[in-house]
Amino acid sequence: MNVILQYYRSLGTARTLNLRIWRLNSTSADVATTTKGDEEEEFRVLDILKSRQRTKKKVTRRNDVQPDRADRMSIDQKWGNVWPGPKTFHPSSVPLPLRQGYVPKGHVPPGKKANAELMKIPNFLHLTPPVVKAQCEALKQFCTEWPSLLNSEEAIENHYPVETITSDYCHAGPTIRNPLARIATLRVKLSTLNLNKHAQDKFIRLVGERYDEETDLVTITADRCPLRQQNLDYVNYLLTACYHESWNVEDWEHDKTEEDMEYYDWDKNASKKSLVQWHLRATNMPNDLSDMDYVEYDISKIPNGEEYKNAVSSLMNNGESEETLKNYGAAVRKLLGLPEAKI
Amino acid sequence: MMNIKNFAICCIFKRFNLIENINRWPEFSNRCYAKATSFPDYFQNPVFRKEDQSKLIESSEISKLAALPVKPPAAYETSSTYHDPLVNKVINHVMEMGKKALARSLVEKAFENIKRIQIERYHLAKTPDEKNKIELNPKIILHKAIENCKPLLQLSPVKRGGITYQVPGPITDKRSLFLAIKWLLEATNDKERTIHFPEQFAWELLDAANNTGKVVKRKQDLHRQCEANRAYAHYRW
Amino acid sequence: MFLRYWKKLGRNYSQSVNFRTSENLPIHQNDKHIGLFYTLKQEKCKELFGSGGFPKSFMKQTKTFTETSIMIRQPALDIMNCIQLSDFDKPAIRYVLFGEKGSGKSLTMAHLLHFANEEGFLIIHVPWVSEWLRRVPRHKEMANSLTRDGFVDLPLDAAAWLLHFKTQNRVYLKSADLVTSKEYVWSKREKTEMGKPLLELVEHGINRVKYSCDVIDVLMSEIKILSNNKKCKTFVAIDGFNSFFYPLTRLNTPTKRKVTPEEVTLTTSFMELTKNNWTNAAIVLTVDQLAVPDDRQESYLPRYLLYKKGFEHIDPFVPMEIGRYTEKEFLSCASYYRDRLWLRGPPDVETELKFTSACNPYRFMEQCAPL
Repeated sequence: MNVILQYYRSLGTARTLNLRIWRLNSTSADVATTTKGDEEEEFRVLDILKSRQRTKKKVTRRNDVQPDRADRMSIDQKWGNVWPGPKTFHPSSVPLPLRQGYVPKGHVPPGKKANAELMKIPNFLHLTPPVVKAQCEALKQFCTEWPSLLNSEEAIENHYPVETITSDYCHAGPTIRNPLARIATLRVKLSTLNLNKHAQDKFIRLVGERYDEETDLVTITADRCPLRQQNLDYVNYLLTACYHESWNVEDWEHDKTEEDMEYYDWDKNASKKSLVQWHLRATNMPNDLSDMDYVEYDISKIPNGEEYKNAVSSLMNNGESEETLKNYGAAVRKLLGLPEAKI
Repeated sequence: MMNIKNFAICCIFKRFNLIENINRWPEFSNRCYAKATSFPDYFQNPVFRKEDQSKLIESSEISKLAALPVKPPAAYETSSTYHDPLVNKVINHVMEMGKKALARSLVEKAFENIKRIQIERYHLAKTPDEKNKIELNPKIILHKAIENCKPLLQLSPVKRGGITYQVPGPITDKRSLFLAIKWLLEATNDKERTIHFPEQFAWELLDAANNTGKVVKRKQDLHRQCEANRAYAHYRW
Repeated sequence: MFLRYWKKLGRNYSQSVNFRTSENLPIHQNDKHIGLFYTLKQEKCKELFGSGGFPKSFMKQTKTFTETSIMIRQPALDIMNCIQLSDFDKPAIRYVLFGEKGSGKSLTMAHLLHFANEEGFLIIHVPWVSEWLRRVPRHKEMANSLTRDGFVDLPLDAAAWLLHFKTQNRVYLKSADLVTSKEYVWSKREKTEMGKPLLELVEHGINRVKYSCDVIDVLMSEIKILSNNKKCKTFVAIDGFNSFFYPLTRLNTPTKRKVTPEEVTLTTSFMELTKNNWTNAAIVLTVDQLAVPDDRQESYLPRYLLYKKGFEHIDPFVPMEIGRYTEKEFLSCASYYRDRLWLRGPPDVETELKFTSACNPYRFMEQCAPL
């Protein structure tokens, strides 16, 4: 160290000296000044602390790899030509920044290249609205005209009362067949079947809960066969069978009595008898009626009798509730000539 | 207007001073849930009484609690106006085999009996002064009874030189409460088979509230024993 | 000092809400009195309800409250109004009280009984039908009927009821009009001659317990005849009427056969009584869930509780729902309880009780008890 210092002093350049000392003491190399000094002086200082300059490896690029096709697509190209039919996803053909896949929280889903997730799922890239439109245009020449008389929902319902409902599915999986696609539903309005009273009653009993009273719709669903066509055949068969069975009248059906409470017929019940008896007593008329006479007695002679009949019938047929009971109470009060209930 | 309102509130507080005091019973913080559950430490105990909540709001400590998760209150911790921790405690002591509904109905029946007895006495009393002396609130009677039954000292057995000495010593508040309720129930269950629990319990409570009866005597016996054994007091250490 | 002051203040507060009326005669009560309590006189209570008629819990309450007060409620007034306006030459009108458990059917009936008593009706009151058919204490007297084959008598119950009938109608039974219409022969030596007062008939039933059921049967038909002849007005009140129509009773014959209600002689007599083939009478019945076992308590509506048979038996009837307390009734009841020292504490208690009891009168009373 001393030697160097002496040498420098002989040269007598204070500036360089300072610089050198600083440089020796410093840990980082000041490249610019060093090169300048080297040019001026031949003596090359062994710079111990100088960090080795790493030569960067030159990356050789292969010239034969083309840039990604997706990057070169023009924005006004015809997409239908790029993706004409159903096809597995291909990253270079789709100029969209797609990402897909499950990743831990905070990470970004992987991009479209070499992404199996994107390839697994079926895509609808061939069904863009302009393409669909174009295809429809092309198919138009093969279509017949829509019947002009079927111009409204009512008309359709009138001419085609039976409605079948099936569903097609698109789903991710090794097979494109969804088990739910086999389910077939048949819907028909009960009133369109033109059943008589007995047949209608029987039909409703046969189909059970499949009949909706509010909308008058019978909905039969079948899912027991593996294929849709089989299920469709089956629901049609069920409808046909129920229809024909409901017209049959079995022997035992004649044995039905009032006790079965299918329907409360007021005229045949004790309620009418007690009403008539009450009326006769109230008007001091002799009571010499037989059971048949009671059934045939004309209640329009009794003031407020009709209302009472309706009240009892609704109480019995619609079930007892606060509402029906209130009606019953009001009817009875009117019948007996009592003041109305205060609330 | 404001002043009148304040005055009214003051009056209410004065009136319910007694209840107020007793309601501040050491809060029984171990709450039992229907299923075994445990909550991390930072879960706060629920503040389920309206008074406590308004107190928190007044002292503006509510903002500290507002952001913290809170444990659900147990089924018996209600904001009902007649909620009383001590009554809950007694019900739990009466309960056997986890039949809380039954225990509750028994205690309530006892309250009803107390009330009927006291109302009868009230109607029998002739002067208004006498009438005013009769306490009609069964809950206050329960509080008084338990207060009267709580022992102040206890005897603990200490073995010295092969002899077990009954050494008198101080008693914790919790233990004395426990003993008071236990004694009351023991005294109640020591009854004829034909007398029902609520009746007997009502009588015991009324006696204890009057500072008479079996339980108070038992407490006094204990005190006397402690007094007699005070020579052994140094064995405690 | 403050305590006392507050007590006084509290009592003043409770009296500020008007919950009492001095109108102690049901005839004069009108819509203005709805929700108010009126007090029955002690002697009247003893006469009318000395042997049943009030629910047990209410009896306890009257003892604690040192008075018998009934709330005047809309349905009772309504029925009174109907009875007053109805034509007594026409067949008897049946009124059916129904409502949830504890809504006050029996108390409404008690109110009506008081009304009938004041109005001068002959009262036929069955305090609780289940007492006969469903309550079987260890020594229930039962005997096969002597006069009717296959029927079962309940002699002690019948005699007890006759006593009840006698105390309730002590005044009217003395009138000279009430006499038997024909001669009844009980045994070789015992007979009741034609033209004897009804009281004698009743006495006979009480003294000769063996014949008490037959006496009731005879008594009912006699009363019907007397009513038809306008000798008396009759008020029939049967509590827990639907008990007659539950398929089985809890009675067993000595041969361990289950007894149906139709096989009990008492049932037949009261069935006959509740028909509308007589005049000059008013019939008030209650249907109660508590009168039948748990399996028939799904609804409190009359058609359900009476079965089809019972419905047809009393059809056409006037249904009358006894509901929960209204706002006004609840407030008045709460102030009444406060006055009777049954309820105490800050006014918040009422709000809470109103919520927890859902304004059901019985539940409200129960929930006040431990407070």
